[in-house]
Amino acid sequence: MSIEIENIHKQFGDFTALQDVTLSIPSGELVALLGPSGSGKTTLLRIIAGLETPDRGRIIFNGEDTTDRHVRERKVGFVFQHYALFKHMTVFDNVAFGLNVRPSGTRPSKSAITEKVMELLRLVQLEGMAKRYPSQLSGGQRQRIALARALAVEPQVLLLDEPFGALDAQVRAELRRWLRKLHDEIHVTSVFVTHDQEEALEVADRIVVMNRGGIEQAGTPDQVYEHPANPFVLNFLGNVNLFHGRMFQGEAQMGGIRVDAPGYAGADNAPAVAYVRSHDIEIDRSQVDATALKAEIRHIQKLGPSVRVTLNLEGNGGFIEAELTRDIFQTLGLQQGEQVFVRPRQVRVFVEDYQI
Amino acid sequence: MKFIKHNNVLPGFGPTMGYTLLYLSLIVLIPLSALVFKTAGLSWHDFISTVTEPRVLASYRITFGAALAAAGINAVFGVLVAWVLVRYPFPGRRLVDALVDLPFALPTAVAGITLATVYSANGWIGKHLEPHGIKVAFTPLGIIIAMTFIGLPFVVRTVQPVIEELDAEIEEAAACLGANRWQTFRRVLFPLLTPSVLTGFALAFARGVGEYGSIIFIAGNMPMVSEITPLIIITKLEQYDYQGATAVATVMLVASFLMLLVINLLQRWSRRYAG
Repeated sequence: MSIEIENIHKQFGDFTALQDVTLSIPSGELVALLGPSGSGKTTLLRIIAGLETPDRGRIIFNGEDTTDRHVRERKVGFVFQHYALFKHMTVFDNVAFGLNVRPSGTRPSKSAITEKVMELLRLVQLEGMAKRYPSQLSGGQRQRIALARALAVEPQVLLLDEPFGALDAQVRAELRRWLRKLHDEIHVTSVFVTHDQEEALEVADRIVVMNRGGIEQAGTPDQVYEHPANPFVLNFLGNVNLFHGRMFQGEAQMGGIRVDAPGYAGADNAPAVAYVRSHDIEIDRSQVDATALKAEIRHIQKLGPSVRVTLNLEGNGGFIEAELTRDIFQTLGLQQGEQVFVRPRQVRVFVEDYQI
Repeated sequence: MKFIKHNNVLPGFGPTMGYTLLYLSLIVLIPLSALVFKTAGLSWHDFISTVTEPRVLASYRITFGAALAAAGINAVFGVLVAWVLVRYPFPGRRLVDALVDLPFALPTAVAGITLATVYSANGWIGKHLEPHGIKVAFTPLGIIIAMTFIGLPFVVRTVQPVIEELDAEIEEAAACLGANRWQTFRRVLFPLLTPSVLTGFALAFARGVGEYGSIIFIAGNMPMVSEITPLIIITKLEQYDYQGATAVATVMLVASFLMLLVINLLQRWSRRYAG
């Protein structure tokens, strides 16, 4: 089922949580709302669910205006960050809840409910846990039960609020792969909120980057990663280095780096900022070409498969961070205090007075 | 015992346990065992005939019956009061919140005289009830009202913190799953409140059974009709029948203990999910 979000505005006192947000979510997609805390992503999710009412704007499910429809009648599955399981009910009763509260006319028979619940427990791979209480399960298991409970009512839309936020790193990685697989099986339109760019890039069909109550960019993971619309998106998706400089006739000049920026040909002598992702910085022992800059290695940090090198650029004195694979790091045999040359592989220039 | 000594990270088990036992002995166990000892002076036959006198039996029915009824009323309305105090911000909420504790603080005799005055045939409330044939003062109904009055804070104060800690998300989850407000309350919220409601019920019941001061003014104290067991005990004491008084007291003690035990077991069962 498709979701249209039209000019949604939400104010909490003096704080504007959402500012005229418009977004369309095609049927069957898995969409990530990505943004820092306070960006309005959870508020938007809760408005889609009907747990929060917008001050202005409309929510349309499949062409039908649902803005004023109560959360009970929206047929949405909602998964909370802290599971919100009913702790006094067994796993079975938790999953069966949505079926048991149906009015007697539409409620399935007892055996049909049992069958449905067991089928869902198989889907989330917890069929042996039916008689347990939530307190006897691990975090990852609880979240899977919460998902099974949400799916029991056959929702038209599945909404997940930071579903893996309370889990430890390994379970988290496992569960998000599992969620992707599950979505490929059941194809229910799903929206999940996250502040973890890696999670969004790995799981989602489409990423909506949010900031300060608005949408910065919406697109496929490749689109937002390869072609960030603005410095915020670029900065939020991965570690970046900043170079400040000025534009001169379609060329950005910043402390030894010169980059062609034909898109900004009109902007002459305007302040510009160049962004280079830390893994787009190459380190050489010799000066390969004119774009290479001399730098001194200040700090080396090993992070599992990759190595982060902090360098001090000669001349303007700025610090940059480069991320290398362990292989390249070992081949180069870099040492702290060494003089090397750095070359930005890919530079993105933005001419606007934007501070991060 | 061994593992407590060796593996406990909290020091001070010995002295605190010793102090607990000493304190409980001095305050609770020794006086209560003195009660039983004194009773033991009676022969079995005398004991049975003392505690099963028709007048005494009637007083058990009134005391325990009224205490159960009052605790039941408080369990319903106390939850309501606690719910309103936690969930709805309204002007004067703090004042109402403080009012709840008044029955704790008020001398019971004052409460008794006030209730008797208000509910008597020409009192503020009593004169409106009288034409409908409802007599409150000097009837068992008056006893229930007095016990309800003194028992209210117990339920409110035990349930209130539990309502405060209910997670709003579980109600939202229930709503998303299609439950209406009543279903949410009955299936989701109430089971989570049950243990604290039972605790409040037990405390209100125990207080009601032991209450004397506020009841004797409103009860009328008619033998067989509105005479409570504590009054029978006092009467026996005034007649220097110490053994008879302790015999009745022992029966009350055992009955109260058994009822509290049952309520405690119920309460434990109602939180069986807590792993």
